[in-house]
Amino acid sequence: MNCPDDGILRAHLDGELEGTELTEARQHLATCGDCDARIKKLTAEKAGAGDLLASLAPDRAQTAVQPAVAYAQFKNQFVTTSEPQPSWIARWFAPRLRPAWGLATAALLVAAALGVSPVRTWAQHVLALLRVQKIAVVTIDPSTLMNGGDSDARPYKLINQFIADNVVVVKEPGKSEVAGSMAQAAQMAGYPVRTIGSLGTPQTIEVSGDTRFHMTLNRSRIETLLEEVGRSDIRVPKSADGALIDVQIPKIVIATYGDCPARPSASHSESHAEAMAHRKMERMAVVKGNDCTYLIQAVSPTVSVPPNLNMSQIAEAALELAGMNSTDARVLCQTVDWSSTLVVPIPRDAGTSQTVTVDGVPGTLITETLTQGNRYSLLWIKGGVIHSLSGRGDASDALKLAASLE
Amino acid sequence: MGTAEIASRSLSMTMHKSPSGHWDESAFRALFLQHYARIVGVLVRVLGDRTQAEEVANSAFWRLYRQPDLQTDSNIGGWLYRTATNLGIDALRASGRRRQYEDAAARDMNEGAAEVTVAQGPLDHVLREEQAERVREILALIKPAQAQLLVLRASGLSYKELAEALEVKMSGIGTMLNRAEQEFRTRYLALHPNEENL
Repeated sequence: MNCPDDGILRAHLDGELEGTELTEARQHLATCGDCDARIKKLTAEKAGAGDLLASLAPDRAQTAVQPAVAYAQFKNQFVTTSEPQPSWIARWFAPRLRPAWGLATAALLVAAALGVSPVRTWAQHVLALLRVQKIAVVTIDPSTLMNGGDSDARPYKLINQFIADNVVVVKEPGKSEVAGSMAQAAQMAGYPVRTIGSLGTPQTIEVSGDTRFHMTLNRSRIETLLEEVGRSDIRVPKSADGALIDVQIPKIVIATYGDCPARPSASHSESHAEAMAHRKMERMAVVKGNDCTYLIQAVSPTVSVPPNLNMSQIAEAALELAGMNSTDARVLCQTVDWSSTLVVPIPRDAGTSQTVTVDGVPGTLITETLTQGNRYSLLWIKGGVIHSLSGRGDASDALKLAASLE
Repeated sequence: MGTAEIASRSLSMTMHKSPSGHWDESAFRALFLQHYARIVGVLVRVLGDRTQAEEVANSAFWRLYRQPDLQTDSNIGGWLYRTATNLGIDALRASGRRRQYEDAAARDMNEGAAEVTVAQGPLDHVLREEQAERVREILALIKPAQAQLLVLRASGLSYKELAEALEVKMSGIGTMLNRAEQEFRTRYLALHPNEENL
């Protein structure tokens, strides 16, 4: 029999020969002096390299790997966040999203997405930001991201998807209720409400249910989102990761005056299609020059955030996303008290703002110049209630109406 | 995630059309629990860092997750070892150890000085870790396939497991090990001529 090659000798050394191979090798090696020498050489070489490679073994002091924990982390990191989402559309219509559609979109960036049109929807959305005591207006460039605020636009969808996946509704607002009079509305809402005397009886008065939801921020998910919308340059503060944000929104009183588009009463359970149709109708109303005025009143929502969450950095990121340049965003974020200020982003070239006196307190008047005519939105806070008066016309129309508040 | 990554993922998605299209969650979990600790063990050897090892292990499992057709593959373990060590050795080579090493070697040659083992402390593990780093430097220099074989063998894989992981015949493992160790020794001795036990 020929001598086995080094590979077989090596396998023999490693105890990896079996069956006839092993028997044959044993028989041969018992009588082969050459092979004996080769084995000795191979043994020495194997030992030398083996000792060195053995130094790679992990330190025994290292904590044991816990596969179950690792699996939970793995799922969290990859599977739940990056899985292809065929249910995109289904999720869009998911019941838990509907209140979010109406209310959770109050997040600053979405408010920016909505732009200033339609005014009412916008006002409704921006109300739910913080415990609001002051209002500040910032100018943004919506063309950077939220082109036209079209809710079919991809960034908008991504953001809504993000909200749908992360928002947990604790309390459903239910259907809005129709109030017979402002007095009744005040009773239902639990706080005093005003009306505009010169416009007579409101066409409709609705009181939306109070709602509560929370949202857990996931930094990597946010960064993925930013990457997808092409803004990976925006930095998300570390403190945001895992932060639980709790939002309570009290009842909101919405009164309409004049020639307003018909609106489904169950505003917060609108499906996406209904909401879209509704927004289109509102736009049409603007185009047709319908003279519709909205007065929206609400006490401040309460937003609870972990004490270590750096709101200023979050807001800076959000403002940058909304289209503010980073220097302006930084400056603003260092001067604004985020615990009490509602920041209203208005697109550059689409609107202007000024501070006015309304109802005896300082208010913010935003005017938009549209081809179909001007629109205004007047925001003020009095007695803890946030007021938003909006309609067709310019600053003087707004102030005239405000003067007749009852 | 880089473009190449996306491309390779979508490629693998189209190449491997699976009957079900996605993993059975409990089957995947079972595989994860079965192989994870050992995969991390191998990668700690390659990378010398537990956190990095876990990241690379996750990345390997993620690739597995993206290829649900593999659930009918009888050699998933082998696939995982191969993929994980490929990723690990890529990371090792990318970590700059080679360059550091080559710089160090050049410096030694210029000074005409042999490698001096500096005992920085009485602790064995310090010396051991220095030794391990020298080994990793060599692993980053040799052919990736050989480095892969040596690391998997050092992690305790049998010839059968090695054959499955490397998709080679079991009868060829002995020869491959001899050659890989020979290469390893040659490189090591060239850079550390004072080592006596080789």
